[in-house]
Amino acid sequence: MKRLFGLACFCLSVLVLLPVAAPVAAKTITVGIVDCYSGPPSTYTNDVRDAFKLEIDRINAGGGVLGHKIEFVTRDSKFKVDIGLSAAKELIYRKNVDIMMGTINSALALAISDLCRKEKVPFLVTFAKSAKITGAKGHDYVFSITENTALAGKAAAVGLAKKPYLKYWIAGDDYEYGHAIADAVWNNLRKLKPQVTLLGQSWWKVGEPDFTPYITAILSAKPDAVIVATGGRDCVPFLKAAKATGFNKRVPFYMHTATELSTLKPLGLNAPEGVIGTSNYFFYYPESPENQAFVKRFEAAYKRKPAVGAIYGLLAARFIAGAYRKAGKVKPQAFIKAMEAMTVDSPIGKVTMRACDHQAMLPMFMGTTKKVSGYNFLIADDIVTIAGKDVMPGCDEIARQRKK
Amino acid sequence: MHSGGITFAALMQQVLVGLSRTTILFIVSSGLSLVLGVLRIPNVAHGSLYMIGAFVTFSVANFYGQTGFGFIAALVLAPLVVAAVSLVLERGLLCRLYDREHLMLLLFTFAFTLIFADLVKMIWGSDYRSLNAPAWLQGSFDLAGLPFPRYSLFLLIMGPLVALGLWLLTNKTRIGKIARAAAVDREMVDAIGIDVSRVFAAVFVIGCYLAGLGGALVAPTQNITQGMDHTIIIEAFLIVIIGGLGNIWGALLGAAIFGLTDAIGILVWPQFAIVFPYMAVVIVLLIRPRGLLKAIW
Repeated sequence: MKRLFGLACFCLSVLVLLPVAAPVAAKTITVGIVDCYSGPPSTYTNDVRDAFKLEIDRINAGGGVLGHKIEFVTRDSKFKVDIGLSAAKELIYRKNVDIMMGTINSALALAISDLCRKEKVPFLVTFAKSAKITGAKGHDYVFSITENTALAGKAAAVGLAKKPYLKYWIAGDDYEYGHAIADAVWNNLRKLKPQVTLLGQSWWKVGEPDFTPYITAILSAKPDAVIVATGGRDCVPFLKAAKATGFNKRVPFYMHTATELSTLKPLGLNAPEGVIGTSNYFFYYPESPENQAFVKRFEAAYKRKPAVGAIYGLLAARFIAGAYRKAGKVKPQAFIKAMEAMTVDSPIGKVTMRACDHQAMLPMFMGTTKKVSGYNFLIADDIVTIAGKDVMPGCDEIARQRKK
Repeated sequence: MHSGGITFAALMQQVLVGLSRTTILFIVSSGLSLVLGVLRIPNVAHGSLYMIGAFVTFSVANFYGQTGFGFIAALVLAPLVVAAVSLVLERGLLCRLYDREHLMLLLFTFAFTLIFADLVKMIWGSDYRSLNAPAWLQGSFDLAGLPFPRYSLFLLIMGPLVALGLWLLTNKTRIGKIARAAAVDREMVDAIGIDVSRVFAAVFVIGCYLAGLGGALVAPTQNITQGMDHTIIIEAFLIVIIGGLGNIWGALLGAAIFGLTDAIGILVWPQFAIVFPYMAVVIVLLIRPRGLLKAIW
């Protein structure tokens, strides 16, 4: 009898509690993130995810968006297009995500972008550097909140044109990123300063173990300056070889990601000085209260300084929350409308999503590596800010690219 | 092609830089070749052991605050740690699989490349790591107007020393002689009452020690990161193939061809330098399909 009573009580309480529990789980906005979380690229992608989570937690703690909680799920693409694409399909078809986000791999970003266009799911690109994403292959559903090779190339050309160098050498990774950034720098530089000449080019494979023979060969050709189009994990060994051979003291060189925290921190005080680089973000620049507050929050949560990926993660969260709030409803079409020309606040100032190509107008900071007291690694110094609008191709140019 | 002439000094410089790269390639591929020749195991995890060697070097050197002493300690300790790991691997698992076919062994060692890659990620994380050479090996000196890194010179000295050590080991020691005999005829060595299993364990550990040593020596010049295993294992296998399977002197010759064509290709035709060492591999295999020196297989 006692047992029967207990069972009845249990059943009753379940009946009472069920309807209360259900609505809590219901209203969520789900963001699906596909990115490479294994191997060398994870150095960059972890910061995107971590900063995104930090910001999402803040938004949810403040009551979420339109009564919805924002949630996210991640999938590891292992830097492979097929794995990443099937993960994206799984997130869209089975998890019914509202928004897709990622990836550091340009080929995968383009593939997911195509999928999202067909499935009508907005896609925020957080790290891939191909200019095609919002250029020739852009469409209504894709947004980029990171710089790309065209923007970095133009920014570098603007900076280099002001220097007295005339005879250049180009050296870089023999794959999409290397060639794209080298072409962008060189074509813009030639337009800005027609008297520059190209002495020669060297191309190495991604993951090149030893840069010394490349550097000694370049030095023997005696160029005025070198454009180094290498990225990712090759930056560290290249800078090491540059230091060992005294390359930076003999010939000035530009390397897009040279001033990145992920590149300079492992090298400590042994990184070469005077290397010119460009980036969207430094934890020490701009010295605004907003940036300092963000760095403090990030450090408190993860016990490390935020690198460039963190700004992309934070912007993604602010754009998503802001667009839904502005739209007033959780619908893809309304989200896209709201995203266009929307401006969000960030540690690097106000960032606007350009309506014509869905490219975030991010400032680019050009600086040279330098030892500064107070840091046990080199930081970018003499930073010049190049505004997003000054390096972005015009809307008419984008329209022409998309027509082709 | 190269604009302007190539000076003799630049060419000599390039040869020396190429030879210093040869040192690393030789040390790693001779270990691979040794294991391949004696144990008949195509050890794909050899590259992973090289990577572990580099990571341990980083940790040990860092423990001593990246001093000269720390670097020397790391050069001694890191290959020993790798040797210990390989001993566990051999005694625990590999020694039970010797009579399986090559494909099984290949898949088995391949599985270990994945396991080691994840272990490295779990222990050291995914950040890039960089180790500084001790002060007396940093920077470069002037060689006919061009800079030559001190560390490259250090590698040029280490290469012949390791080669000498290997020669003494294979020719002057009992275990070396047994290993050479076992490579030719395993049953015969077994039949005359020698415990081949223990010889195999020793040879495997020595081969892996060389992978660790290669990783330790390369650490100050590289970005110590995941993925360094892939690059080296492909090159090491190519070198072993063109040198003659299982022949460590073939590995020396193969490494020299690989290192030199790479460095000189970069000087003569920098735009297409990547293909030079691989072209050399193709040419060697067209002329001598079984490799330059006598293959043990």
